[in-house]
Amino acid sequence: MTVLPILKSAALAAVLLTSTAVFASAKDFSISVWSGGSGPNDNYRVDAIEIAADILEREAAVRGEQLNIIVQKTPYSGWEDFKQALTLAAEAKKAPNIVATGHEDIGPWAQAGLIVPAEDYIDLDAWPISDIYPNLMEIASFNGTVYGIPQDAESRPFFFWKPYMKAIGYTDADLEALPAKVEKGEYTLKNVLEDAKKMQDKGLVQAGYGFYPRTNNGPDYWQFYTSFGGVMEEEGKLVFDKAAMKRTYQYFADLVAAGVTKKNHIGMPGDQWWKEVATGKAGIWHGGTWHYARLVNQEGLKDFFDNVQFTLIPAGEGGKANTLTHPLTYLLMAGHDQETTQIAADLVKIASEPRINALHAIKSAHLGISPSETKVDLYSSNRWASEATERLLPHANAMPNNADFGKYWTIMWKNMEAAWTGAKTADAAVNDAEAELKSTLGSAIVIR
Amino acid sequence: MRTSRTLGIIMIAPAATMIFLFYLMPAILTGIFAMTNMSTATGISGGVYQVTQSAANRLQDDMPELAAGIAEPRFVIDDEGLAALEALKLKPGYVAELRGQHVGAVFASRREAERVIKALKDRPSTREVKQISDLFNRSVLNTRFETRDALIGSLEKLGFTMTPEEQDKVARVTYTGWVWTTDNFRVIASSPDMAKIFFNTAFYVAVTLMLFNVSYALFLAVTTHYMPPATASVFRAVWLLPRITPVVIYVLMWKWLTWDNGFISMFLGQFGVPPKNYLLDNAYNAWFFVILINGFIGASMGMLVFSSAIKAIPQTHFHASEVDGASRWQQIRYIILPQLRWPILFVTCYQTLSLLASFNEILLSTRGGPGRATEVWSLAAYHTALNNYTGNLEYGLGAALALVLVVIGIVLSLIYLRIFRYDTLISKPLIED
Repeated sequence: MTVLPILKSAALAAVLLTSTAVFASAKDFSISVWSGGSGPNDNYRVDAIEIAADILEREAAVRGEQLNIIVQKTPYSGWEDFKQALTLAAEAKKAPNIVATGHEDIGPWAQAGLIVPAEDYIDLDAWPISDIYPNLMEIASFNGTVYGIPQDAESRPFFFWKPYMKAIGYTDADLEALPAKVEKGEYTLKNVLEDAKKMQDKGLVQAGYGFYPRTNNGPDYWQFYTSFGGVMEEEGKLVFDKAAMKRTYQYFADLVAAGVTKKNHIGMPGDQWWKEVATGKAGIWHGGTWHYARLVNQEGLKDFFDNVQFTLIPAGEGGKANTLTHPLTYLLMAGHDQETTQIAADLVKIASEPRINALHAIKSAHLGISPSETKVDLYSSNRWASEATERLLPHANAMPNNADFGKYWTIMWKNMEAAWTGAKTADAAVNDAEAELKSTLGSAIVIR
Repeated sequence: MRTSRTLGIIMIAPAATMIFLFYLMPAILTGIFAMTNMSTATGISGGVYQVTQSAANRLQDDMPELAAGIAEPRFVIDDEGLAALEALKLKPGYVAELRGQHVGAVFASRREAERVIKALKDRPSTREVKQISDLFNRSVLNTRFETRDALIGSLEKLGFTMTPEEQDKVARVTYTGWVWTTDNFRVIASSPDMAKIFFNTAFYVAVTLMLFNVSYALFLAVTTHYMPPATASVFRAVWLLPRITPVVIYVLMWKWLTWDNGFISMFLGQFGVPPKNYLLDNAYNAWFFVILINGFIGASMGMLVFSSAIKAIPQTHFHASEVDGASRWQQIRYIILPQLRWPILFVTCYQTLSLLASFNEILLSTRGGPGRATEVWSLAAYHTALNNYTGNLEYGLGAALALVLVVIGIVLSLIYLRIFRYDTLISKPLIED
């Protein structure tokens, strides 16, 4: 009779063993995440995915499953090399699982099948996605399908160096009232040129430092087009407003002619530009909300609010004051099996939770993606985030998600550069742009 | 003597394979790519058929009814879909609940249909929701069809009948991939910017070649020829430095020299001249430095070739001319130059082609700026096809640009061979045969 108990316990042991074997059948996933335009303050674009992986593993453990996720992070500091690397990697079927990039890439990448719709993997009606600002979700869509999950938001202000503004006659009260005057269209781009000239004439800044714009191509320059009454897209069709674009080109030619902006400004070393605006070598300039982080953290401008006033981009002739938001979005790349993409999607979803996203928003001085994020202590107690959100975000436009927008942008920019450097007159630049837009985009763009 | 043809082929095989893979294939592929509209948006590996809102807009003029019909997203809970759902063998509760409560329901968008599916008591996962909603999709909007037949088949199933021409048109506007086209060449021919880049390239190649790669190289070769050997070696070694320094470091040193806080600005600052970026100050400055940067590298090759060619001239020629009282200039004019015709042809030809194709020094120094003033053809091809801020990589247009360069290179080589009378240079020696 001793055989039975032995058999019993053997059977029990076998059952236990197999059951633990089921429990122990760990699932391993390797998730790669790339991000573009990510400087030292933007590490949470990729780090948030790592934090999410930790949480997802713990959630799996609570359910009694073992999940191992290895996150491989590849942040790129610039855009050109990042987009080149990513596009070519995707064509070679070696794309990462997740990528954080500008929303304008959604159009061409979706058409080429490089990305899969986020809505196929993420329930948009569930928290935290349901809480994200609807206009940001709209910006992450293409052809009525939600392809991306907004990773951050921002807007792009004008900056004024207060001591020089005071030296040319503005009082503290005037400076306090400046944002409102800009918003109402009482202080315009014409005033910017005049004030910049005054600063130079008084010897406060060197020639070419009165107005000190961005040193390379960027979404910023569409703001000037908007200021002069231009529209980028209407009802799904790109729009090239000749008169508005001419006023934009002419404005930069005028700045150079007046000597307040350098003719060879484009292409100057970026580090030099940062150092100069942080140390008061420039009078008026423009940038993005995230400039605050770099100026304060890396460039040593500790008393930002004492030295700098910020406003919307002032209106020009025929337009109104505005700013542009250029959200980055998390996109899920094609070419991976569904199970892995589902894990990647789950990570993106967790990374979009207010507390995790706030880490990025505050560290990099971007703006939050959802109303509840503004209630996170870290966010609500930050002066820059709250003031910038209030003053700028309600007036923000975005570039259109259109598969042809990149071509339009390239043509717009190279003629802008030509007008700026004096290689072409503003008239010639607009005509060349029109001719090239007609020949490359044809009926896909409305020219008026 | 017995000869073996096979052995020759075997010996040449590795080199021939290399040449095929790394020289001929890229050239052939460039030619193929140039005849397409390939870009980031079309992808390289081919496309699918997708009815999007913008495709429907394009059909608006010719086929208004179809355009309006296919743009309508519709999700219908019907028996066909329920049967398909049963076949999927997911949880049986899904079918029962949908049949019991929602049969006949019509939704205008996927999102609305999915809200109902998500609310089922058995709580399907997000993936399952998609799987289920697909079964009730009664429109083609935003669906990606792998083949043309699948698209046309689906449209016919939805009740759209089309003539073959209409089918062609629908297939054309919904195709997302690349197509064959000669538009690239039309764009190149008609764009004023391309004309500017063309003249930039001609200027850059001609000036660098004439001032440095040939003239200055010749000057160095002749002057070092008349120097004592030890001194001559030192000079030649110095002029080789730009070529043997890694190009990134070499260009970085030029940047240190020319930047706002570089050497020139610091030096002139001592005399009260305000600092400026000499490299990018204006187009003239940029060209000046671009040509110097390239010329200093290019001069060394001509110098080596010409020096050794001069060495090969029998010393007796010089001795005899000196007995006749020839001056240095006469020696150069009547002895050295005539015997350097072949090396000069070689250097001119070789350097023209390498200057046409080279853009790395320009990319590293000015990136084609300021304001695309120093953008040359090969750099424009690189920026167009592979590297630009908007990430809109136009492989087709870039390849077309590169192809133009290949054609120009071949034409120029033929012209050079004519001018320098290549046939007389390689006429058969009289000794053999």
